[in-house]
Amino acid sequence: MKPAIKPVPSRYKNPLSKFKVTRANACVNCLTCVQVCPHGVHWDSGGKIQMPRDNLCHGFACMNKDCYCVDQCPSRALRVTLNPVYDVLGDRRWTADLLLSTWHMAETASVPGNNLEYKTGDSGGGFDRIELILPDKKVKASEKEKVSTSLLLNRRDDGRIKLEIGLPFYGGGMSFGSVNLGTMLCRARAYSAWESLVCTGEGGFPEELIPYQDHVITQVATGLFGVREDTVQRVPMIEFKYAQGAKPGLGGHLLGDKVTPAVARMREAVAGNSLFSPFPFHSVYSIEDHQKHIDWIKQINPRALVSVKVSTPNDVDMVAVGSYYAGAHVIHLDGSYGGTGAAPDIAKKNIAMPIEYAIPKVHRFLTQEGVRDKITLIASGGLRTAHDVAKAIALGADGVVIGTADMVALECLRCHNCESGRGCPRGIATTDPELKLMLDEDWGTQRLINLFSCWRDQLVGFLVKWGMKSITELVGRTDCLRHLDYEPSSEEQ
Amino acid sequence: MTTRKSSTDRFVRAIIEARRPLARLALPRSTVNPEEEGGCGVTGFASSVKVKGRHIFEPSRQMHNRGNGKGGGIAALGLDHNDLGVSAEIVTEDYLLQIAFLDMNCRRAVEDKYVNPYFRIDHIDSLTPVDDYHDVEGLEIRPPDVVRYFIRVKKPVLQDFIMKKGLRFTDDRKAEDEFVYQNTFRLNSEFYAGGEQRAFVLSHGRNLIVLKAVGYAEQVVQYYQLDNLKAHAWIAHQRFPTKGRVWHPGGAHPFVGLNEALVHNGDFANYQSIVDYLRQRNIFPLFMTDTEVSAYLFDLLTRVYSYPLEYVIEALAPTSEMDLDQLSEDKQRIYSLVQNSHMHGSPDGPWFFIIARNNVEDQTLQLIGITDTSMLRPQVFALMDGEVKVGLICSEKHAIDATLRSLADEDPRFGRVADTYWNARGGSHTDGGAFIFNIKPGKNGEAELTCTDKFGQAINIPEYQKPCPFPRPHGVTRSEVISRMEQMLAAGDAVGLYKMVVADLSEPGYERFLGTVEWLKRAAIRDDQTKSTVLKILTLLLDRRYDPHDKRRRSLLEVLNQAIDDILLACPLVGSESSSRYARIDFTNRERLGPPQGEQEILVIDAFDFKPEGCDCDARLQVEAYRLGWRRFICFRYRGQRFTATGLGLGTDEVRFDIYGGSGDYLASGIDGLHIYVHGNAQDQLCQIMKNGKLVIYGDVGQTFMYGAKGGEAYIMGNTAGRPLINGVGRPRVVINGTSLDYLAESFMAGDPLKGGGFAILNGVTFDWQGRLKELPTPYPGSNLFSLASGGAIYIRDPHDKIVEEQLNGGILDFITLEDWELIRPYLKENERLFGISLEKDLLTVDNHLLDPGRIYRKVKAVKSTILAGSEESLVPE
Repeated sequence: MKPAIKPVPSRYKNPLSKFKVTRANACVNCLTCVQVCPHGVHWDSGGKIQMPRDNLCHGFACMNKDCYCVDQCPSRALRVTLNPVYDVLGDRRWTADLLLSTWHMAETASVPGNNLEYKTGDSGGGFDRIELILPDKKVKASEKEKVSTSLLLNRRDDGRIKLEIGLPFYGGGMSFGSVNLGTMLCRARAYSAWESLVCTGEGGFPEELIPYQDHVITQVATGLFGVREDTVQRVPMIEFKYAQGAKPGLGGHLLGDKVTPAVARMREAVAGNSLFSPFPFHSVYSIEDHQKHIDWIKQINPRALVSVKVSTPNDVDMVAVGSYYAGAHVIHLDGSYGGTGAAPDIAKKNIAMPIEYAIPKVHRFLTQEGVRDKITLIASGGLRTAHDVAKAIALGADGVVIGTADMVALECLRCHNCESGRGCPRGIATTDPELKLMLDEDWGTQRLINLFSCWRDQLVGFLVKWGMKSITELVGRTDCLRHLDYEPSSEEQ
Repeated sequence: MTTRKSSTDRFVRAIIEARRPLARLALPRSTVNPEEEGGCGVTGFASSVKVKGRHIFEPSRQMHNRGNGKGGGIAALGLDHNDLGVSAEIVTEDYLLQIAFLDMNCRRAVEDKYVNPYFRIDHIDSLTPVDDYHDVEGLEIRPPDVVRYFIRVKKPVLQDFIMKKGLRFTDDRKAEDEFVYQNTFRLNSEFYAGGEQRAFVLSHGRNLIVLKAVGYAEQVVQYYQLDNLKAHAWIAHQRFPTKGRVWHPGGAHPFVGLNEALVHNGDFANYQSIVDYLRQRNIFPLFMTDTEVSAYLFDLLTRVYSYPLEYVIEALAPTSEMDLDQLSEDKQRIYSLVQNSHMHGSPDGPWFFIIARNNVEDQTLQLIGITDTSMLRPQVFALMDGEVKVGLICSEKHAIDATLRSLADEDPRFGRVADTYWNARGGSHTDGGAFIFNIKPGKNGEAELTCTDKFGQAINIPEYQKPCPFPRPHGVTRSEVISRMEQMLAAGDAVGLYKMVVADLSEPGYERFLGTVEWLKRAAIRDDQTKSTVLKILTLLLDRRYDPHDKRRRSLLEVLNQAIDDILLACPLVGSESSSRYARIDFTNRERLGPPQGEQEILVIDAFDFKPEGCDCDARLQVEAYRLGWRRFICFRYRGQRFTATGLGLGTDEVRFDIYGGSGDYLASGIDGLHIYVHGNAQDQLCQIMKNGKLVIYGDVGQTFMYGAKGGEAYIMGNTAGRPLINGVGRPRVVINGTSLDYLAESFMAGDPLKGGGFAILNGVTFDWQGRLKELPTPYPGSNLFSLASGGAIYIRDPHDKIVEEQLNGGILDFITLEDWELIRPYLKENERLFGISLEKDLLTVDNHLLDPGRIYRKVKAVKSTILAGSEESLVPE
């Protein structure tokens, strides 16, 4: 059953926007603008004109049209300019348009109509140079009803649970400590509502998550923080984190400022001291150690699935096959585009194979090995949009994992202060007892539910256009993709 | 400055130059990518008497879970000429060229081109495999046909080679070695690596053979019917390759240089760099595995550079940091030269080599185990000394015990327990991370086996302590002894009886001991009360150290193990009519498990036939039994089964486990409250994420002990191997009576010990052959002590101030306070109760003087590092 969609406005009085609408004193309160604007920027309360809602403005797209308030204003009191904030918002990967449109989707559960580029970023590579080849076709609502976006995670016939998630994506690991409990709860509730999963990351399993435990993945990472038998026994899937695509060769790290007494208690460490997870598992230096490690977790929880999260070294295909032979149900490739502000730039920008190379490499290799249908291939690392999800799947993944997009839905600004002390100015990636009050759980949950709904809607739309009934049909369909470095885009054609 | 060229120097240059033409046959640089293979199981043993191939069978089978059946191989060194149908001289003097034919049609071509023109063939033998490879259970791919040629290079051919290659100044035999080596390279290049894979050389050394297949190692023995082939040393390898659907026997271990075969567990991070290093010396890999290059490296360093073994080991596993500083100046100088010359050829990352080597120059057969500097792969060494001697090297201890069992079943001169088991400390100044078992011809035509470390220091076992003879003498029990034992049994005085047995050991010979144990064993079947007391006595004898006088401890242990097994095997099966507190279960009867009935309270699990992991492992049965209400477990006859006592969940305070036999990895991981007693040595990765409870080990424990532990108590009678207590948080509290090899409590974060946090006590003591406690040369030999720790502490017994600041990395050394002493004293008292290591008489007494604890114990504690700490403002109270 689909969760209910409700509009959830920004928690700020003046949400950030692409355009800025200014009204001069010359305004005579004639309310013409209220009548002409189809996007609800101008509005009145009891006949009195109110502050414009900038974030709804379509800007210069209205120019030369009857609905252009600037031209229609009898007093010439209106002016539409590019918001100076727009210029400094975001970065090439997460452009201002992507941030604004993700906020829009989280608010309204629909794609933005105001000319925001919500499909790709501007990184000049990766998924931004890949395009979906979508037939020009009207999509009927009745066709959408029949499409499935469910994903089966256990493809081994090993007597373990046949876990199926309602969306072809689930929430990536973010630990208690890297984000606060409220953020974890928003994610757990939203992913539960969509019958999907969310990972605890490596910081323990706060008791507040117990009501959602059937939708929680707990992580066993190299520091083993908060890993306990009872938490492993509680969940349907356990994720081994060998490496993160954003910082291969580095373990997890939580700098001293974020190790508050509460975080330290959860991890049973010393408050105020940075926590570094070692890069490798000290108990795993080979494939047979890896198998033993998986066997151990399987011994503790005889029904749960095992996911193995690795970064994308050159031999990632071997790693994937090795994990299959070692008994994993899910191989999770974490590419290099992801990472929040806590991952060092030097690692984020320079190590690991781009995920769009890794996915087909592994997909093909698993197919050649004859084991592709026995293991679920999950990709992550910089997947920001429904388009990215579709691209990753068409390249050969079964599904994807989302991280930063969730944060953006909660109004993350990509300011890159995640790791520092009281850090996050928006109370998302902070454990500071004051800052965390900025986040309301009901608000955040609904924002995420809306975003996922919008993504799902888009994915279903693509599938209908391609004549597919299920997301599983898209796996490995590289013929649905076009690489812009080698082929002209649909617009250029 | 002019340097006088030594003959070795000329030799090195000439040989490397002689190989230059081989470059034409080398694979293109771009194709040289290693096969992916991580771990494996490796095993090897060397015996003073030749033993049959079937004995490599058990340890190989037990390490199935370290391979995936996609490649296995064995090597045999020091063969019996009778088995081979040739004279003794031919076995030792000829090269045993073994060619594997994947396509028998090319045999003529191979022989015409690479055998007949160059070699005098003294004997040819086609190996007779079983009729149908399907008869070997589990073998899926037909192994290659193998032809064995006993050869010498023809005189004119050799002379021609010597002239052309400018090798006149050297020994002809060395030139002949090189000819054989180069000929093999050409053969492999044409018939294997160059395109179609049709034939390749398995081995070509003297007194050494290698066989391999796509399968498990023991299937190689079965297929080629080597069960009865005798050799002094055997090595085997289980492979776990992860690449390619079509596996190939050529890629399986062992690999050869010339007179050595090498198996390897691990993989290099710098494979390409080593390939480059070798290529610069005109050595060109053809099989694309890091094991192949390892064998070439070893051959290069020994045969070409002619280094003594010590320097070869140094070139492979360099001594670094503080360990280097500990060596003599001379050694430091030489080692630095070796390191500088061979750094690029030094394998980096996790690796462990077992090498079977015919050291022809010294007429010594050698079994060598070398670990990497960081000790990243598991390794156990063992020595069993007696009328016959055997040295063993394995990935896991239980595989060593399996080998001994197998040997003892056939020849009772072998014991079922080794005299000593130990781990090597990689790249160290203490043992160099390598041990060598040497077999030399001795008196009366019998071979002598000795064991030395990298530096040539021997491991000796006192000769006056004699193993139990075979056949075992009849036990003797005198009537007055019996009446005393009856009285003590009736009173349930296990400790008294234990003391009596120990005191009686002073009587020469085994008769009295055997008689007593036999009598106790018979008494045990009378009733549960007596059984419980007898088990306590025998367990005390197994656990504690005492003076065996003229007897060998391993012989006593063998008798005790057997007695305990017999008593436990005699317990009534679960589900059968009985009024006993004990209920036994084994793999065959596992379905009969139910809740405890009537008087039943102790579940006796015979682990022997359970699988090491998965649905059919005994650990799964333990969880089920716990769910059904069982709280007391005795598990015995372990053969490396893993995960014992894991998965029971939270709050298991009332549960107790006693473990006998070769328990496996991950034991007690994650436990929360239960008490577990391991009566013997324990394996790797114990007590990961342990939350609460108590673990007692009457022996040593392996790698990465208590990784990420959150709490609980552990008492270790002996040593912990590498990387114990890493990433410990919360309040784990540990007493280690021996030492740790390296990285003790790295990144420890367990709060303030004086306010409920965790700590380790390191006593740095051991027992001598008389069961007396003695100090180790240093309580902690390595560096990286308490590195980057932010919480907790290590209390070290260090009366002679051996620990220095240089061993630390981030922590500081401090005096202990009265508060510290009050904290650790109860743990040392419990240590005394468990192991008989007296706090006053042993630990606090130095040179017969009882000293103040503050002069004996030192504290390594964490300092707040500015790099690690956050700003003050972060610690806003909630």
